[in-house]
Amino acid sequence: MERTRARDAGRGAGRERSRLSGFLAALRKDLLLQWRTRAQFVAVFVFGATALLLFSFAIGPDAAALRQHSAGFLWLGLLLSSTLALADSFESEVQHRALEGLLLLPADPRALYYGKALANVLQLTVLGVGLVPVIVVLYDAFTARIPALLAIIVLGAAGLSAPGTLYSAMTAQMRARNTLLPLLLFPLVVPALLAAVKSTSLLILGDPMGQLTSWVALLVAFDAVYWSLCGLVFERVVED
Amino acid sequence: MGNSRWPFVTAGLGLALLVWGSVWGLFYAPREVYMGDVQRIMYVHVPTAWNAMLVLTFAFACAVLSLLRGGWGWDARLEAAVEGGVVLSALLCTQGSIWARPTWGVWWDWDPRLTTTAVLLFAFAGILALRGFVDDPVKRAVWTAVAVVIAYVDVPLVYFSVRWWNSLHQLQSTPETVSRAFHWPLRINAFGVLFLMIGLVELRARLAWQRRAAESAPPLPSGVAVATGRL
Amino acid sequence: MRGVIEGGWEFVIAAYVITAVVLLGYAFSVCWRLWKAPRHDAGR
Repeated sequence: MERTRARDAGRGAGRERSRLSGFLAALRKDLLLQWRTRAQFVAVFVFGATALLLFSFAIGPDAAALRQHSAGFLWLGLLLSSTLALADSFESEVQHRALEGLLLLPADPRALYYGKALANVLQLTVLGVGLVPVIVVLYDAFTARIPALLAIIVLGAAGLSAPGTLYSAMTAQMRARNTLLPLLLFPLVVPALLAAVKSTSLLILGDPMGQLTSWVALLVAFDAVYWSLCGLVFERVVED
Repeated sequence: MGNSRWPFVTAGLGLALLVWGSVWGLFYAPREVYMGDVQRIMYVHVPTAWNAMLVLTFAFACAVLSLLRGGWGWDARLEAAVEGGVVLSALLCTQGSIWARPTWGVWWDWDPRLTTTAVLLFAFAGILALRGFVDDPVKRAVWTAVAVVIAYVDVPLVYFSVRWWNSLHQLQSTPETVSRAFHWPLRINAFGVLFLMIGLVELRARLAWQRRAAESAPPLPSGVAVATGRL
Repeated sequence: MRGVIEGGWEFVIAAYVITAVVLLGYAFSVCWRLWKAPRHDAGR
């Protein structure tokens, strides 16, 4: 009860400004946190690259087949790595009981969510961009359309990050968290995964029928729905 | 949560309708021109499909009401509806697979509706797993309601993405329309599954309610209070 | 549609049997669990 009152008191004055500054503060905190734990990030990257290597062993040394499916491998590798990255994102808050402290601040919990989600997008984007040279080397999967590829990686990362950050906040507070996060996330992100894989595939293999914009539109729609919906419900997930 | 017998009556009626509709569909409905007798699978497959979506939509409604209104009743119904929906979805995928084998020669044909059902099955089974791991009843109620809302909103997105993804290859889909001669067994079975599920969801909700009440009830003291009639 | 399918009764029977088993099994499971559930009238 006191928490809500304190929060509402802070909200009353300069609501818009406090929401934006809350968001920026949360973003800054999470980026700083990610920078400080960059050794962990390197480990996640190595995990992703190893996964990509293992995929090629699963298919066999068939260069044509590998190139054909390279987009799928990239996004599967990124998806698997994201469960490690996302699981860690609320780790420090829960370990040091910082979550309750953060919620006592007169900042909108939504600002907290968006700050962390955006930081996760950045992290996943860097991860994705880092894995691109790996697929170029392993699968001969090159594209000259670099800005488009970057845009798709950002959009795909955003699609993983929105529900991923929400479920990370949920599962961080419970046991069996490492199993539950992928269990909940994977079926959910199927549309984003399909759209990201198809878009990337069209960039690598060519797009004679001009389908790229449609797939990107689907990805944007997924992101729009989940970035608004998850932000809306985040408060209920972390309240006491 | 009530104690009356109506769910048993409803479920029993549903089962009776299912027997009637299935016998009709199996033995008395005419053979379809192209698919022959295999088409008779539709008399259980289509009703299961309709009711799976119905039950999951009811779960979504319970989730929204649970989040907005609170109270344990909606949470109990949510648990019941999610479990019922998982059972029907699993059944649906099995039926679809059995149908695909003689028709297309494969056990899975990536039909958009069936594939969406498979994704839904995994999503809602995951939510049941989530429910099993949360000890605090309040958090359990809020989190599963949130998860159900998020998973349900995904359904149209999954459907369109898979349909599109599949259309780039050959489109092999289960028949949408059933010609008029075949309507009656279909309708009877549809109501059969509907009544059965209404009864079962209500009973399952009562179970959830009782379990939750048992969870938060103070521990029974030994002997004394019971003997003096205070409990 | 590729042509006429002959026979296939074993698939039809399989589908109907599995449907019956699952629906009846689930109905039985719910009733059984409800019957076995601990009754608590305190705090109602």
